[in-house]
Amino acid sequence: MLSVYAAIALAYLFLPIVVVVLFSFNNPKGRFNYTWEGFTFKNWENPFGFPGLGGALRVSIEIALLSSFFATVLGTLIALALVRYRFRGSGTTNLLIFVPMTTPEVVMGASLLTLFVNWRIPQGFGTILIAHILFNISYVVVTVRARLVGFDRHLEEAAMDLGANEWVTFLKVTLPLIMPGILAAALLAFALSIDDFVITYFNAGSTITFPLFVWGAARVATPPQINVIGTGIFIIAVTGMLGTILLQNYRSRKGALAV
Amino acid sequence: MSETFTRDQLLRRAVAGSALLSVPGLLAACGGGGKKAAATTTAATVAQKMPKSLTWSNWPLYIDLNEKTKSHPSLVAFEKHYHVNVKYLEDINDNDSFFGKIEGPLSQGQSIGRDLIVMTDSSGLPQRMIQLGWLEKLDKAAIPNIKNLIPAQQHPDWDPNRDYSLPWQSGMTGIGYDPKLTGGPIDTFEQLLTDPKLKGKVTLLVEMSDTMGIAMLANGDDPTHVTDKTFDNAINLIQKAVKSGQIRQFTGNDYAPLLANGSIYACLAWSGDMVQLQADHPGLKWVLPKTGGMIWTDNMLIPKGGNVFGASTLMNWYYRPEIAAEVEDYVNYICPVAGADKVLEKTDPAVAHNPLIFPTKAMLANAHQFDAKALNNIKYKKKFQALIGG
Amino acid sequence: MAGAATTVSDTRGVRHLFHRPKGAIPYLLLAPGIAWLLVFFVVPMWYLGKMSLSQGLFPIFSFGWVWGNFRDAITSYQTQFVRSGEYAGIATLVALLVSYPLAYWIAFRGGRWKNLFLLLVIAPFFVTYLIRTLAWETILADNGVVVHTLQHLGILGANGRLLATSAAVIAGITYNFLPFMVLPLYVSLEQIDQRLIEAAEDLYASRATAFTRVTLPLSLPGVFAGVLLTFIPAAGDFINAQLLGTPQQYMIGNVIQSEFLSVRDYPTAASLSFVLMAAILALVLVFARSLGTERLTVAA
Repeated sequence: MLSVYAAIALAYLFLPIVVVVLFSFNNPKGRFNYTWEGFTFKNWENPFGFPGLGGALRVSIEIALLSSFFATVLGTLIALALVRYRFRGSGTTNLLIFVPMTTPEVVMGASLLTLFVNWRIPQGFGTILIAHILFNISYVVVTVRARLVGFDRHLEEAAMDLGANEWVTFLKVTLPLIMPGILAAALLAFALSIDDFVITYFNAGSTITFPLFVWGAARVATPPQINVIGTGIFIIAVTGMLGTILLQNYRSRKGALAV
Repeated sequence: MSETFTRDQLLRRAVAGSALLSVPGLLAACGGGGKKAAATTTAATVAQKMPKSLTWSNWPLYIDLNEKTKSHPSLVAFEKHYHVNVKYLEDINDNDSFFGKIEGPLSQGQSIGRDLIVMTDSSGLPQRMIQLGWLEKLDKAAIPNIKNLIPAQQHPDWDPNRDYSLPWQSGMTGIGYDPKLTGGPIDTFEQLLTDPKLKGKVTLLVEMSDTMGIAMLANGDDPTHVTDKTFDNAINLIQKAVKSGQIRQFTGNDYAPLLANGSIYACLAWSGDMVQLQADHPGLKWVLPKTGGMIWTDNMLIPKGGNVFGASTLMNWYYRPEIAAEVEDYVNYICPVAGADKVLEKTDPAVAHNPLIFPTKAMLANAHQFDAKALNNIKYKKKFQALIGG
Repeated sequence: MAGAATTVSDTRGVRHLFHRPKGAIPYLLLAPGIAWLLVFFVVPMWYLGKMSLSQGLFPIFSFGWVWGNFRDAITSYQTQFVRSGEYAGIATLVALLVSYPLAYWIAFRGGRWKNLFLLLVIAPFFVTYLIRTLAWETILADNGVVVHTLQHLGILGANGRLLATSAAVIAGITYNFLPFMVLPLYVSLEQIDQRLIEAAEDLYASRATAFTRVTLPLSLPGVFAGVLLTFIPAAGDFINAQLLGTPQQYMIGNVIQSEFLSVRDYPTAASLSFVLMAAILALVLVFARSLGTERLTVAA
């Protein structure tokens, strides 16, 4: 029963994606990819045929990787502090974490731009990165915190009883056990970053990210290559993940046999 | 002051150095004959004043594109001819958003790092920027081809002598519809608002100039001279249709997928979009409303801090009929350069004879512009936003 | 290692170990992140705050403690404020109902493939929002299969449609925030020791009781996090209403968007933003209190 529900949920999640993949094989005569006009492989043969598409994609992935990394580090540290310690200013810190999430994007993007302009910071890759790390921190904190709150402290107590000091306990006991939470937060940050439009728009200068490219082009065209690229990244990511999992299975099986 | 136009000063210094290298090359390239002296003077002047690079911000897919080489042939030719590198950015996708991005630096006297930008007159923003002193005047001496500007575009209300702007492309706003679904021609705004067959299957545009302009024309009023009364009458006309559910949505160009997949039967639509939609749906039709439609123009502007000579020369290049024809063949909006259609007669007659790309005189006479002052009137803007924002 | 929830007395020993007079530790942990937020968020908010108390016409705004902006903001746009709360609330609830089983399944049945499924959950984000929404517009088109079927079944009237309705807007919001709900839920569920559930069932609890008395309470931190990460940004959303709704569906996010970009009435846009932010925070506070904040934000 549960598996049925889960399958339905997953199907719902992927329903539009199926359409997106399907339309990557579409063959419109015009520049819009809105209705089915026939099957073709030519979009897949020439996915980067649209100038600027490849560059924009690369920028987006770089920023997503960097910003999710840094935001995860900064956010995890904050989450640890908030959950583990009682200190003065924890209430204000909590507030400071929540408020960025409540801020409408257009306002956050524009106010950040005002900052950059007033401080004469030229807009481009760097400012996009700053903005992305900024809005990702809050999401990381909330996600990692959910994990930390349910964390069983007895495990740490046991480790310390057995002679480990605080630092070793953290590295060998705590961190591995909260890692799923940290990874989930990183994934969320990555997703947020790679799809961000409004905040990026204001702070990008003349740099173009993938969403900026798509929204920009959409006024006059929605080339099927965009669908190809989206599907492509997905396939690469899934294949990569599958590869890692299979490798782990192989290793663990080898290890088990060795014993 | 020193930090605001530093880039400009740097460019000048760079040009002075490169002039020595390019003049002999140009002299060698010039043919013999009595005109030699005059030609070399101009060429030398150009070489001296031309910057090493120019940055041009435009709308996406708004210039000729060779899909195999992924290059813009007209731009490459320009770069070769003038020994300039042009950084071409397609980062304008909405007038208000782009303006929101550049107004910060411009209001503080900082350069926005661009020599040429392209913005629509119907947004009211080029006018605004002139008022705010954020645009450089064109170097008309560098734009002899300005004589090719079609008469209809030569003296707009907001820039009567074309001191600050030059059209890049125009577009018309009219009624787009699917005759199979509407059961007949739709050629009046009245029909969009009241035809019961169209209930819930009509969209209007979020652009105030387009929607309000056409509404005013339907009321018999003149959109080039907006008054409180004519504005309110237009609002009331549309309001009724919104309340009754006749009007489904107010859209940007996201009406296009809806029209394509049959979710809407008729809408206010831009001519350029229809050209693309008709490629896959030849049955779709586009007309100017009987009482009149709107015409808008994307204008090339030089923001403060941009290199005036370089940008003006670039503008001049695109006013050569053969270059304009090259661009038009790809872009398929409305060309402001006289003579381009004659060039296309030979190379791509389908485009040359498409009234959505080269409209007839009758069509142009029936296409109007919106009052520039009204575009920046906050009271009107708020009233319109209240209409489209529930 | 028995015991479902740790109590204060059990952990005093642990707390003692971690709360030695090294009072600097929390501040050191906080420093980099908070510094980032202070510089790149608080300072811009300061500018925004000044703007919300200013008045004038673009581009000249003068500061003047104009509290009237706030009063006007609240009175003029009540409908949109309330509507935003409703839509965000419904979307969050639906997202919770859809995501919980999925997160549960991944956490308990996912096995070695857990990470793969998590990746699948965020995969739709690789294809930009616009393309996903265009796909939905194709699926839910007026003369498409889905609408025809629903009309046939009588769920939709003869001229009924799915696009350009409240349902479409809420569905759009829900769909886009699903990962924000799934991931935190998963994070919390995955941590639950399955033996606890087994123990409950050994003690004659039914599957349902084991769920409601053991699993659900232990997953509350995840529920809390998921609800926050979904409701908060959803309340300020504008793009779903713009593409999938009629003027009757416009949310406060749309108003702020247009006041800022089109009308360029920055004081109004700024004050609307602050009212929205305050309203959301108030709701969050109420929600947290009702669930019992202490248990959800601080480890015992």
